Amino acid sequence: MTDGSAGCNRRLLMRLISQLTKLLPYFYAGVGVVVLWQAVVWIAKPHVSLLPSPLMTVRTFVELVASGALLSHVAHSVFRVVSAWSLAALVAVPLGFAMGRWRRLERALDPVVELFRPISPLAWIPLAILWFGIDEGGKIFVIFIGTFFPILLNTIAGAKSIDPVLIHAGRILGCADNASLFRKVVLPASLPQVIVGLRISFGTGWAAIIAAELVAARSGLGYLISNGMEVLRSDFVLVGMVTIGVLGVLFDVVFRWLDRRCNWMRE
Amino acid sequence: MKAVAPPAAKPLSLRGLAKRYASADGRIVEALLPIDLDIAPGEFLVVVGPSGCGKSTLLNILAGLTPPSAGEAWVGDVLVEGPDIDRGMVFQDYALFPWLSVIGNVEFGLERQGVPRRARREIAMRYLEIVGLADFAGKRPRELSGGMKQRVAIARTFATEPSIVFMDEPFGALDALSRRHLQHELLRIWQQHRKTVVFITHSVVEAIYLGDRIVLMTARPGRIKTVIPIGLPHPRDPTSDEFSAIERRIYADLDEELAKSFRMEVTEQSPIVGTRYS
Repeated sequence: MTDGSAGCNRRLLMRLISQLTKLLPYFYAGVGVVVLWQAVVWIAKPHVSLLPSPLMTVRTFVELVASGALLSHVAHSVFRVVSAWSLAALVAVPLGFAMGRWRRLERALDPVVELFRPISPLAWIPLAILWFGIDEGGKIFVIFIGTFFPILLNTIAGAKSIDPVLIHAGRILGCADNASLFRKVVLPASLPQVIVGLRISFGTGWAAIIAAELVAARSGLGYLISNGMEVLRSDFVLVGMVTIGVLGVLFDVVFRWLDRRCNWMRE
Repeated sequence: MKAVAPPAAKPLSLRGLAKRYASADGRIVEALLPIDLDIAPGEFLVVVGPSGCGKSTLLNILAGLTPPSAGEAWVGDVLVEGPDIDRGMVFQDYALFPWLSVIGNVEFGLERQGVPRRARREIAMRYLEIVGLADFAGKRPRELSGGMKQRVAIARTFATEPSIVFMDEPFGALDALSRRHLQHELLRIWQQHRKTVVFITHSVVEAIYLGDRIVLMTARPGRIKTVIPIGLPHPRDPTSDEFSAIERRIYADLDEELAKSFRMEVTEQSPIVGTRYS
């Protein structure tokens, strides 16, 4: 019995070690960046308003966390991205399926999509401010534009790439109407590709929210950065940047986990 | 829920069934010339013909996946107007749903029929046992070999108790050994369940081994050239004299058609202008 529990502990330990080993590259990258950063500070001796030392940045980070300011900025940014991205998914996923399955609709809408797709979501910021002011509406609008196209295009690709023989099999096996065929065959067949679109678009949304907040906001990580520049507190800027990076990695981890759970192609 | 007793096999009647379609450059292509044929309940009918003779088109029309341009097909007293779960189909490339487990695939049609969860699990398990894959119920299709996949597809088709089963070159992609094994299995299942079967193949030996009757089709446009009843009892021995005699006869007919379709490909003429048929 002791043997069994010892073996169990050992296996758990091995698993933990293998998990940690996977994180090692990130650790090395972090150490490398900090070392380089400290070296620049020592050698070039920049004024503290231009480049603070890593230690000072950590101190500011702790202060901002303790005061709750950082959490509030993070919450604002995340809320904007999640709500705009969900809204975009609610429109783009059904539209993508419709365009992917009905050639005629795709031919009608494709030129419109192709025309708007290359326009960076950031180019919409001026109009967003004019139309929605600098309240939540404007930023959600910009993120909506930025996340909409990756979701739409991936959903279309997924819906179009379904093997026609699976559609035939579904119809033969009792999916008489389009609704049941969609639910039982089209949706599960294209789900992996839809998830790819959701993941990519969350990334572009996360990148775009910072830009949108740089221009017009009184909260959020983008605001933290732009405000830091204005009051010559580059430690604020750096704390904002590091937080953006770390959260971006975390979101990707969540999506990869989701992908592994729902993706029949990868199991 | 379905009745306990499986539905009896149904006859299939083709009345002037024809298919023409417009090709990409706007020409009218005759894929199938009008076909009249009666298939008895429980009969195993094999359709043989050169590539492009419209065999698969014919099967798709009978299954209700493609509408005919003329004529009608009747299963029993029901006109074929679209796919129906009462008419099963086995595809050449298996057409298993990759996101479902093996048993999930077999249960698919049962679920559509409204069979309750517990009952459909039992039925699916029974059919997986029939095809010898009960131990693989929890696997994904892609973990199986081609022959195993097709056995799952056969279990999936027979599990819904259709009164007729269409098979479109089901063993065409398999190696010779799996093919032989599956032919044997299919005959056993057919003899137990007595479904009406329409089976398409390129292989003359397979046709003679399996069929009650063989329908030989002409090169494009598709048409019935001859119907050959096979009177031999099962199991049939491909090395026997009777078997070889039928084989020789079919090859003689088929060679004519192969030569025709070969000429057509070489001259690249319109299939209608370039071909004579008596």
